[in-house]
Formats: sequence, structure tokens, C-alpha cells
Amino acid sequence: MSDVLEQIKKQVEENPIILYMKGTPQFPQCGFSMRASQAVAACGKEFAYVNVLEDQEIREGIKQFGNWPTIPQLYVNGELVGGCDIILEMYQNGELEKLLDSTTA
Amino acid sequence: MSEDRVTLIRERLTTALDVHDLEIIDDSHLHAGHAGARAGGGHFRVAVVSPDFAGKTPIQRHRLVYQAVGDAIRPDCIHALNIKALTPEEVQDH
Repeated sequence: MSDVLEQIKKQVEENPIILYMKGTPQFPQCGFSMRASQAVAACGKEFAYVNVLEDQEIREGIKQFGNWPTIPQLYVNGELVGGCDIILEMYQNGELEKLLDSTTA
Repeated sequence: MSEDRVTLIRERLTTALDVHDLEIIDDSHLHAGHAGARAGGGHFRVAVVSPDFAGKTPIQRHRLVYQAVGDAIRPDCIHALNIKALTPEEVQDH
């Protein structure tokens, strides 16, 4: 496994809720990342994030790691939950809050 | 350019999946000027109805769509897909 995939694996394992996004929750740089981070934040649990615009290797590596071609990507308990559409759908039907509440952080 | 990409998405999806209904909307104009759009990639909204989605979770359904569209998802072609993937039964329930 390449260094960047190792690095991502470590981030995902160490942070029960982690969002890979463009920009930050305070200053998102893409509408999809903005909506995804707002939905995660609205669940009221603390979460980690990685601004992929600050690291080109992670920006490409996360697509390979998740076998998912786009950003944002949300990982909970080490598993890819989905991108913006799935995050919003789960937020609207209450599943996201339940899932995030199940983490031990 | 934009119509070509809609055709490309349509062809790839109908090749890979048993598509009962498909709607593709080009939303690129909504994102003109933002950072991700600079490379020329478009934003598209795709609503697919296929029995292939039966028994699959949202993430598995999205993966099927991404796999079908394949290497067209790159910064200068398709920057983002907004995906709605339903089975024919689910459409009837709506």
C-alpha cells in the first residue's frame, strides 16, 4: 500500500467520524462539500475533516481508498458511508444521526 | 459539449444496467465559476430506474452508477454526478 493510502487508513481508523471535503466546514469550497458538512454538523456530534484541497496526494488517494470517484466522502467507524447525495438522504430520514450517535467518540 | 456528455452518460448507463427510466439534467450552469468547474467538468443530475438496484444499499447503487459512467468522471469531463437510483417498485410507491 502506498504511503498516502496508509496515511488515509490511519486517519479513518483514528477518527470515528471523518469527512473528506473541499475546503473546511467554516469555508467550504464546493457546494457538495458545503451541504455534506452542514448535514454532518447538524447531527451535533464532533467530527474530524480533511481539506483535500490542501493535499493533492490525499485528494487523489481518497478516491482510490474509497473506490469512490468524487469528494466529499464521509467515513464512520472506518467505513465509507457515501458522498453528498447519500449523506443528505440519510440526514433527511434520520439515519445519519443514528449512525453518528453509534460512534464512541 | 454538454449534449455530448449527456449522450455519453446515457449510453454508458444503458449499456451497463437494465434501465427502465432515465433522466439526465445538465446542472453545469449552476456551478459556473466555482473552483471545481474551472477544469471544464460538468455537473449532472441523473435519475435512474433499474431493477438492478433491488436489494442494494444506497452506496452499492451509487457504485453501480459510477462504475457504469467509468472514466468519464474526471475533472475536464464530468466533475460531479447527483445520483438518484431507484427500483421500478420504489417509483410506484412514490
